[in-house]
Amino acid sequence: MDNVRASGSTIWFRQNTGFAVIVVLFFVVYALYHLAHPKGFSSQVFIQNSNEVFGLAMVAMAQTVPVLMGGLDLSVGAVMTLVDCLASHLLEGSGWSLFWGIIVCLLAGTAAGLFNGIIVVYGRIQPIIATLATGAIYIGLALFLRPIPGGKINEDLNWSFTNSLGDAAETIGIFDDGKAAWFSPFAGLPTAFLLLVIVAIVVWVPFRRSVTGRTVYAIGSAEGAAYMSGLNINRAKLAAFTMAGLFSGIGGIFMAIQTSSGNADMPMAGSYTLSSIASVVIGGTSLLGGSGSAIGSIFGTLILRVISFNFRIFDIPPLLQPLFEGIVLLAAVSLGALSILRVKNQLELFR
Amino acid sequence: MLKSKALVSLLAGAALMTSAAVAFAGPKIVSGPPADPACFKPWTDQTKFFQWEKKPGPYRIAIVNGFVGNTWRIQMIKTAKAFAEQPENKKDIKEFKVISTGTDVAAQLGAIEDFINQGYDAIVTIAVSPEGFDRVIKLADKNNVVLVPFDNVLDTDKVMMVNEDQKAIGKMSADWIIKQLGKKEGKILEVRGLPGNSVDRDRHVGFREVVEAPGSKFQIVEVVGNWDDGTSQKVTADAIAVHGKFDAVYQQGGTTGTVRAMMDAKHPFVPIAGEGENGYRKLVAEHAKDGLKGLSYGQSPGLVAISMKAAISALKGNVMPQLISVPIPVEDYTTLKDGVNYWSNLTDNFFTANAFPSCGVNISATEIMAKDEANSN
Repeated sequence: MDNVRASGSTIWFRQNTGFAVIVVLFFVVYALYHLAHPKGFSSQVFIQNSNEVFGLAMVAMAQTVPVLMGGLDLSVGAVMTLVDCLASHLLEGSGWSLFWGIIVCLLAGTAAGLFNGIIVVYGRIQPIIATLATGAIYIGLALFLRPIPGGKINEDLNWSFTNSLGDAAETIGIFDDGKAAWFSPFAGLPTAFLLLVIVAIVVWVPFRRSVTGRTVYAIGSAEGAAYMSGLNINRAKLAAFTMAGLFSGIGGIFMAIQTSSGNADMPMAGSYTLSSIASVVIGGTSLLGGSGSAIGSIFGTLILRVISFNFRIFDIPPLLQPLFEGIVLLAAVSLGALSILRVKNQLELFR
Repeated sequence: MLKSKALVSLLAGAALMTSAAVAFAGPKIVSGPPADPACFKPWTDQTKFFQWEKKPGPYRIAIVNGFVGNTWRIQMIKTAKAFAEQPENKKDIKEFKVISTGTDVAAQLGAIEDFINQGYDAIVTIAVSPEGFDRVIKLADKNNVVLVPFDNVLDTDKVMMVNEDQKAIGKMSADWIIKQLGKKEGKILEVRGLPGNSVDRDRHVGFREVVEAPGSKFQIVEVVGNWDDGTSQKVTADAIAVHGKFDAVYQQGGTTGTVRAMMDAKHPFVPIAGEGENGYRKLVAEHAKDGLKGLSYGQSPGLVAISMKAAISALKGNVMPQLISVPIPVEDYTTLKDGVNYWSNLTDNFFTANAFPSCGVNISATEIMAKDEANSN
């Protein structure tokens, strides 16, 4: 197109216009919220926001991986709910039983994801149908584990994961009860926020860079070409759904910790699944697969959430709020698609 | 660097030690009697009494609704606004805000915490889950904020709550149906409410305790109507198509839809215990002589007004019961009267029960309907 050689950052921007717009939009709207909030820019508000975002952000990351492959996972909310109910049974004790409880919950989420993958790959069933069915199974299991809402989570675990790092350190009794000098710059950070960053860095980034991760993108772009290039398609598909299960599971554990209980809440599972798809799309991932990232989906979630944050500050009539939310979302998605206007050859749109 | 430290703290988290619990403020537990016993009636003799530190008014009050999208919730929001604008209440309210968070518990917890951080004095809420509010209860107590769940209440005795006895509604409906049938057998359609809520659960449990008691031989067909006319109409039509004839119906809400589905399917009129929708009461009044014997109990959207009144009373330093019982307004086909407990000139969607004379709360039907839901706070 341009004869001038573009620099690396320009190329990045051109390829990720949607994502960049979303990030800017988020920071603008979020800054508005903080400016108008009586306790704006304080640790308490960041903590409260992080707790609210974490569960949905996990489910959105979960959804991203199958979507990149060109599929949809309708069971992410159900897996989250299942693990939430399981965690409400396993995370009541203390010490090592907590540690093993978390491991078992993570494994349960991963296994649920792997099961989805097996059905899709070896059962040769469309992901959307397969996960619709397995989602119902997982909700059924969740209801079996928690026919009525209840359960208990270790109080210290609840307190440290839903507060600042300082509070967490004090509760656990490390770093001089969180008062160590080197620790003070981080003490105000929300634990949930840090967890989100860790999951993104430790789980998503290595996966994205692995051959399997890149194969997921390749399948989304052109499955036939990926196959002809000798990539292991089945392994990548299994991995994509397994990753989705793992992320949903982390979301479920946090949900249980946050609410100190388990609740096989079907409407909520459904709304999380829907919101996860919305987050993925807002975050710039193509529903056709092949382009986007889980980091984008995190920002998609942030956009979804930050709109409702503002309802608490500014006077918007309660029954008009959903309408307003819809308009902002539509604007966000449209802004992301503005790059289409610059396309010179319409055939590029059919990639 | 940051990453590795976080990992250390995570690993340490695996070996959590019991730590000294942080001390929290909050209401004092005192002995009764409550400030206004006629209105704020304790649930049982064992109900505790709370007293908050007196705060100077006027107050900032927020309503954190969950699910929105059925008529009950919309009327609730209209009622709350009408109540806040009545002159005797307006003088106590400096700022009033209503938001709805949907069925997402994380969003509701976040909203409640947000209002606590914003320094609101009282937060009235319909909980989307009966569990999971420990953290916001702690924070509310720490900041001396009065948190009042109503309608869908919490499974805890640490907050002040307002409700009608949902289990009693279920039991009462079952007893009434048995009385109408004159026998303890038959096929009953149970149309349940929004899953996961305590109201749905308690009404269901109360109903089942009676109809499944030893000696009863009822066959119960259970469907989920989400307390919504449209959903109820659909699921009832499906149930009739699959199961044929029912001998009675127990409905949690959306009763107008259920009755219409039965009429559409040419299902004979049978005894039905349902909610207090105006449309349902209109149909019962019209068709009672054809056999549509109806019981209509009301979980009033006006509970929000009692809850706001209780919050203001608590902020004024009055002694309050921890669990406030609001009497169940109930009518049946023999007691319906146009213009008194149903309105043939108002829409079907209106919930009829809104007068609470013992509380001095009476927001008339016309006053609520005049309140445009879209107008600004």
